Parts: sequence; structure tokens; C-alpha cells
Amino acid sequence: MHEFSISSEIAKTVLDTAQENKGNRVLSILLEIGEITLLNGEQVKFWVQELFKGSIAEGAEIRIKNVRVRIECESCNYQGSPLIDPKDGVGYLGPLSCPKCKAFQVKIKKGSGCILKQIRMVR
Amino acid sequence: MEEDSMKIIKPKGPEIFDIELEKDLLAKNRSLAKENRKRFDRLKITAIDIMGSIGSGKTSLIKALLKRLNMGEAVGVIAGDLTTTIDAERIIEEGARVIQINTGKECHLDAHLVGRAIEKMSLNGIEILFIENVGNLICPGEFPLGAHKRIVVTSATEGPYTLIKHPYIFRQADVIAYNKIDLAKAMKVNLSRMEQDAYKVNPHAVFIRTNAIKGTGIPKIIQTLGLKA
Repeated sequence: MHEFSISSEIAKTVLDTAQENKGNRVLSILLEIGEITLLNGEQVKFWVQELFKGSIAEGAEIRIKNVRVRIECESCNYQGSPLIDPKDGVGYLGPLSCPKCKAFQVKIKKGSGCILKQIRMVR
Repeated sequence: MEEDSMKIIKPKGPEIFDIELEKDLLAKNRSLAKENRKRFDRLKITAIDIMGSIGSGKTSLIKALLKRLNMGEAVGVIAGDLTTTIDAERIIEEGARVIQINTGKECHLDAHLVGRAIEKMSLNGIEILFIENVGNLICPGEFPLGAHKRIVVTSATEGPYTLIKHPYIFRQADVIAYNKIDLAKAMKVNLSRMEQDAYKVNPHAVFIRTNAIKGTGIPKIIQTLGLKA
């Protein structure tokens, strides 16, 4: 359900920004969603489209770019993709560990955000 | 005449343009959480966010903590729930100051709701504030509230896979309270295995076995969180 609150924030930001820039119509938006957020891109897309209905952004294309997870190992300083045991789950929501030294003490450096990157509009 | 001095610019046809921005949509909650934290610090209040599954024993754990702390109205509780006041009523029995937040359809508390609650609540004389989140092992993890520490409560009656299935929320925890340990055997839950799962998901969290009804593990939570007993 929290896709709805994020989507409301996205829709509001897009419409406010379009108004500030005197846009008459929003054609598309680009969102970056980190793979370790608990946001389902399809659901976000659906809600944003719903919230755009009846506004100057109705029918706008919602483009979503997934951002991969990058970690930093706290014990050996490795930086890069994490190791995930397929036994422990699909995707990045399983326990993450360091592929080099196998430690579970890792910091997430990238892939935990939801960022509105671009709004394309007609003036 | 005024019209004569006006320049008429003919429209050139539609102009397509891009606005590049870097708007982090989770940042707003984070900055509100920071404001809450500043407010807690100014008032010398230690705030603890209590997350966990539905029926895992969050309210029972808070009641047990209140009993053990025995600080009366120096402890405040924000009780988050969808629509009822059942939890708030259960907590009032322990003599703490309670404020209820009903989230309606929303599956989690956020920093804004907590900010509003602490504006309404009299915080005078409060030393510890427990914030009971909505029962849910998913969404609350994404929304920090500004608390100093976060506890996640899960229990034996939820079966043996909660930790490994919901690593995200446990990754946010300072303390993992594994509740209803008296029922572990009946539920075929191996507690050492749960502890290993907790380590894999979050090696920094302290795993504490609890039975909130009997008070088992409660002193250890108080000690780990640095709350005075």
C-alpha cells in the first residue's frame, strides 16, 4: 500500500513543477527506483497514471529505470554488487553479503532510493 | 492607446522541453524524521520505534517494558493503528501517557504523522517515548520516524521463516525481539536457527528472546536500549 503515498508525492511534484514552468502538457516522466526499496514499479506506474487522470499529465508515459544495488563491505572494503544466496530469496530482498569475504556486515551504497529524474513537457 | 504599445508575439508552435531534477521522493520523510529527532533531543527524550508483525506482541511488549521501567507518566506511548483504540486502552492501564494515531488506510506511520502527534501530546516530563508502529513487516521499514532506536518484534507463532522472508525491515532494527518463545516448541520453531537468520539479515542487531506476558527478556531489552531500569 505504501506505493500510493509515494505515488501521490510523485504526481504532486510533477504537476507543481509543470505549473511552475508553464507547461501545458506533460508527455513523460522518468523515475529511478532502487532495487532494494520496497517499491513495486508496476504499482507505482499504475497509481501515478491514476493520479494524473483529469490533469495536464493524463496519459503521460511513466518511464522507470531500476537501479542496481551496490554495497560496501565493512570488513574488507569491497565495493560492488552484493552476494545473495538464491536459497534466501529472489532479487535483492534476501540477506546481502560480501562476495569477496562472505561477511554479512555490509553497507548499502546504492539502490535504496526513489528519484524523479526528468519531466518532459510541452509549452 | 495601450493596445498599440503591446507587442504581440506569435506562438511558434509547441515547444517540447525536459526538466531535469533530482527529487528524492523518500527524502521528505527523512527530513521530517530529522526534525522529530531534533525535537526529541532538545527535550532529552529517548524515542524508540517499535515495529513488527500483526499479533507478534508489540503492545504486550510495550506493557511489559512499562511495568519493568515503572516510571509512570515519565514514559509516553504513541499508539499507531489503522482504526481502533484497543492498543491505546491497553497501554493506559500501565499508567503511561498515551496518544493514539489512526492511520486509516495507511499501512505504516510516517514522520509527518509522528510530528503531528508530538505536537498534540504534552511532552513535559517525558523521558522515554515508545512509538508503536502499525502491525506490518513490510512498509514501516521504509519510513524512519526520527526515533533513536528501532525494535522489530516477531514471534514464534508466525512460523520459522519471518526473518528470512522480510530482511528489509530487520535490517533497520537495533533490537530484534523474538517473542512468544514459550510457544516455539509447539510451532516447531528452532530458536537458534532464528538467531542465525537474524545474524545473516542484520549482524548489528541484538537478538533477544522474549515472552512479553511473563516478562522474559524485558530487562535485556531495557539494558540494550540504554533505558534505565
